[in-house]
Amino acid sequence: MKKLAFFAIIVLICGTVSPSLVNHAYGQNDPSILLRIAVQADKQIVNQLDKKYENKIPNNINILYDKGHRSVKSLDQSLSNNDIEKAKQDFLLAMNSFMQISRIISQSSEKSIEVNISVKSNQTLESKIDRLEKFVQTLESISKKHNKIDQNKDEFTKAYSLIKEIRNQINSNENPSKNITELNNLMNSIKKEIRNSIADKQSNAIKNFFEKFLVQIDQKLMEAKDLDRDQIEIDKANELILEIRELLSKNQINDAKKVYSELIVVLKNIGISVKIT
Amino acid sequence: MISLIEPIQLENSLGDDGILFVRNDCILDTMVKTPLLVASMIIVAALLPIQSSFSSPRDLDLIIYPDGSTHISTEIDVDPFLTDYKVNLFGSTIDNLVVLGDDGFLLDVDVMDGTALIQTFGSSVITIEYDIHDLVSKQGRLWTFSLDSPSDFTLLLPKNSAIVGMTNLPLNMEIINEQNQLTLSSGSTEIDYFFSTNTISNTTEEIVNEEDNSLNIIIVGIIGGIIVIALISVIIIAKNKQKNVKAIEKVVTIQQNNILDLETIFKLKPDLREDDKELIKFIFDNDGEVLESELRKNFLQPRTTMWRAVKRLEREGVIEIEKKDLQNLVKLRKNMEEDN
Repeated sequence: MKKLAFFAIIVLICGTVSPSLVNHAYGQNDPSILLRIAVQADKQIVNQLDKKYENKIPNNINILYDKGHRSVKSLDQSLSNNDIEKAKQDFLLAMNSFMQISRIISQSSEKSIEVNISVKSNQTLESKIDRLEKFVQTLESISKKHNKIDQNKDEFTKAYSLIKEIRNQINSNENPSKNITELNNLMNSIKKEIRNSIADKQSNAIKNFFEKFLVQIDQKLMEAKDLDRDQIEIDKANELILEIRELLSKNQINDAKKVYSELIVVLKNIGISVKIT
Repeated sequence: MISLIEPIQLENSLGDDGILFVRNDCILDTMVKTPLLVASMIIVAALLPIQSSFSSPRDLDLIIYPDGSTHISTEIDVDPFLTDYKVNLFGSTIDNLVVLGDDGFLLDVDVMDGTALIQTFGSSVITIEYDIHDLVSKQGRLWTFSLDSPSDFTLLLPKNSAIVGMTNLPLNMEIINEQNQLTLSSGSTEIDYFFSTNTISNTTEEIVNEEDNSLNIIIVGIIGGIIVIALISVIIIAKNKQKNVKAIEKVVTIQQNNILDLETIFKLKPDLREDDKELIKFIFDNDGEVLESELRKNFLQPRTTMWRAVKRLEREGVIEIEKKDLQNLVKLRKNMEEDN
């Protein structure tokens, strides 16, 4: 028994420690990327300072830059010495200094009005079209997966030709808003169509889920009865189960979902966990 | 008068000085019940990974567009015995939301104040994709990405963006289509970037140029050595092949420099499943090799399902798996044995 207890403790410790070990190992994958990023940031900051101040760099920024640049050199040295922990510290120190400089530059060079990206005027149309194209591709994959691509083929062709047209309009500085609205409407309609076309399959999947689940709840309720739990609540639960089954037989899935939510509350009152395995 | 109540184990437990000694050798057996302790420990150990896996994203990929909007793609393990799953989105300005269950079904979802209530109904893995406008802000020419992530994630930055500050250590970085992709750990992350014509590849070149000439000589030496070894190996292999032609004839093997065409593969492997054939077609159309993650994205399959499919094809001898940048690269095999 002592051996078994010892084994269990080992399993417990290994189970707890192993994920952190894996993450740690992954973090050490290629420390040289830290240097690449830091050198790039250093170079960008020098460019920005040259553009903004030429040779008249304010003292506070100079101090920050020196600190950052020294950290980059130290990072290079730490990596050569294979001192990863020191390299990480150097990296964070350098990037923190450069971050402070870039924020000072951007605050002083232009009016410091924070622009929220959600403001429509700040969105570029190209990005919007890129995102919409990705959305079209996602819906196309779903349609393919459920073998409904033939049904939606014309819509997808139209969507791609609209995207092409919008891109052309952007390039020639025309207003593409009408086509964008049309594309948005088309995508919503495709999504709705896909949902409707696979509704039967989906209903069956939900019915199967309920059937599997309700059988287990039946068993749990019988056990609860043997344990002399609140009989009124048990009866109520049984009634709700009957109601769900009836609704499922009539294909009223949404109503069944609502009754199921009530059932969960009753089960909790009885002391039955909803996570039944 | 005789006392009716006597201290338990009075004679054995009291020493000469009247100090109470308690035997603790069997305290586990007598008080805690060792079997119970062992059983609970095993249960706790077994449940630990499950608890940490439910409700936490197994994959989280972010793409930042030039206007600062962000596409989020995540896969989450959920309890298959629950009907709903509530997930906090990374903001409230959501576009193009798609939630898929295990079988690629579009799941019903209600979004309210940055929270999505998803009707999962038996799904064990859900895939969520959406666009969001809350993660990047702009001040002057400086763009700042901020996220408090519940798990490790990948972040694809826009083209021509140059990082000038960050608060988190990157786990990895690679360049995809001239864009920097960072892998970052969970927790709070802030990244500042400018748009610039100098990309990371230029910097990499500069770093290489800055290195000592001696290092270059060593590298040239190593590369030269590898080429010589490769040439010798090719000559040896070619000679061995000539010797073994007769032996090879016994096995029905089709070998050629390029990958086999689809028709030949399906002829050699007539018992392949239809969905596996689709995978093969996709790999074939991508010059015979593709990352497993691309397969997952294209076929909208959960990681485990796709992993099983890939392993199945590997067992069939149709593909081979190689590691590339910590990812699985799935390649069609050039040599394939016919199924009997």
